[in-house]
Amino acid sequence: MTAIASSPQLATHTRKRPVDWTGIALWIALAVTALLWFLPLFLMFMTSVKSKADLNTSAMWALPGTWEWGNYADALDVGNFWVTAGNSLLIAAIKVPLGLAIAAACAFALARIRFRGARSLMLLIAIGSMVPIQIGLGPLFNTMLNLDLLDSKFGLILPYLAFGIPYQIFVLYGFFRGIPHELEESARIDGSGTFRIFWQIILPLAKPALAALFVLDFVATWNEYAMATTLLRSQSNWTIPLAVQGFSTQHGTDYGPLNAFIFMSAIPVLIVYLLFQRYFVQGALAGAVKG
Amino acid sequence: MTTVNIITQGRRKRRPFGSQGVGTAAPYIIPALLLYGWFLLYPMLDSIRLSFYQWSGFRTETPTWVGLDNYKRLFTEDAVFPTALLNSVIWVVLSLILPTVIALLMALGLNQKIIGRNVMRAIFYIPAVFASITVAAMWRWIYNPTLGFVNQLLEAVGLESWTQSWLGDPKFALASIFVANIWQAVGFSMVLFLAGLQTVPEELMEAAKLDGANAWQRFRAVTVPALRPTTVVVIILTIINSLKVFDLVVGMTGGGPAQSTQVLALWSYTQSFTNHQFGMGGAVATVLLIVTLAIVIPYMAWSLKGEDK
Repeated sequence: MTAIASSPQLATHTRKRPVDWTGIALWIALAVTALLWFLPLFLMFMTSVKSKADLNTSAMWALPGTWEWGNYADALDVGNFWVTAGNSLLIAAIKVPLGLAIAAACAFALARIRFRGARSLMLLIAIGSMVPIQIGLGPLFNTMLNLDLLDSKFGLILPYLAFGIPYQIFVLYGFFRGIPHELEESARIDGSGTFRIFWQIILPLAKPALAALFVLDFVATWNEYAMATTLLRSQSNWTIPLAVQGFSTQHGTDYGPLNAFIFMSAIPVLIVYLLFQRYFVQGALAGAVKG
Repeated sequence: MTTVNIITQGRRKRRPFGSQGVGTAAPYIIPALLLYGWFLLYPMLDSIRLSFYQWSGFRTETPTWVGLDNYKRLFTEDAVFPTALLNSVIWVVLSLILPTVIALLMALGLNQKIIGRNVMRAIFYIPAVFASITVAAMWRWIYNPTLGFVNQLLEAVGLESWTQSWLGDPKFALASIFVANIWQAVGFSMVLFLAGLQTVPEELMEAAKLDGANAWQRFRAVTVPALRPTTVVVIILTIINSLKVFDLVVGMTGGGPAQSTQVLALWSYTQSFTNHQFGMGGAVATVLLIVTLAIVIPYMAWSLKGEDK
């Protein structure tokens, strides 16, 4: 990293020169860092295609003696992949769009409808978006117990929604505030009601922010561990992160299938990320950075 | 950065159009408020309440009021709490320095038109989409004392004496977890910095160049000021995420060896669910809440103030 640090050139566009040594040094530094960042992924893949015997005898970076693709089949079986991935997908498929809709409606009201207490409400919600989940886990367990929603994947959706929407409201609020009022005024003169303005004017304009939030929320939901481990018990309700933890037992961890499982379980988030990547960067700062 | 432009334009007019009142707003905010109040706000407040009680967490037992006893125990008897508090502080401070600086350097580098920058950007970002609990499992294997990559590499280059039980030794365990954290955390900050760099005014950069400012001067005078709002966001998110750290520790050491890698979030959880002391767990949670609010409220005030000017 020091190589990059010592190159102040990087802040600017390099000028055209016969040989751009700074540029080359910068590129090498970045490429080496990229290799370093790629290394754990490479090691994981190598592990995922080696037999137990191979893992015990060969170096972690060495190519496998025999390619043990059976690890992937084992992973499907040991990690109960289709059930856990199904649970995770079901939760995300309900939670992410529903949460975004609820958050967008609330952010719209706070940003565009004038009423008493809107700002205090916004402040309260914004603070909630930053507080660690673990603070409320104990009482949350009791709340879910009292509602008879412990160990239910549909029950889990409720706290997931509650912990997801504050940040989304915070981001969308900033975004909605920035939409010019002329648009809304002319629609109102044309006789549009509040819901039409929300649905047909404000929401379509917020697409980049919504897309970015969709990616962030999908990834966060798919990967959530703390609440899932507290509120879910039976294996048939497990989500992906619980299944990953389930690979480690008293008898140790079977690393070949575990790493195969990790790779397979990351596929949906990688797909979502790649599909929405375009919006992601521009939307990432939408609500946070102000001109 | 169309989004940012829209925001700047819109801020000229600040008052929302029309004054329709609570009645109009209610249907839009009630679903969010119900969820928020029931499953987030109430549990948080209940944690504070529980911190004044002694309770095993079993429904058959009624909590007993003990006043400030849990806090007294926390600061005088609980041998793990100071470690957890210190580790959380160390985690926050280190996170503000290492991953943040690395992410900024990556973003500055990848903001150039260089060969392979999309591939590099993807490589730096991919760890961020893995679940922390899976990252923990990966790195537990990398740190495996006999078969893990780190020790194997040290042996291969003749540094057998450096090999360690990385996660089993209290001296190294926290640092070892932190390395995994750096690997995972830089991607997100890098993306934020990259987005922020798009707001650096091109004309200003050209003007500085014409005036003969060297690269470092241009960085200081043009890039740094333009990146300021982004930097604030990155810093706040880094602090918040550092206080939340839980999955990585659970997955790599579970807080051990000898509670040396405990952090506040995990210690609160352990006290409540493993030791069945919901009161003590609530007290740790309350301390964590106070620390968080001390950081969050000034930021929120700053962030929402801009809207009112």
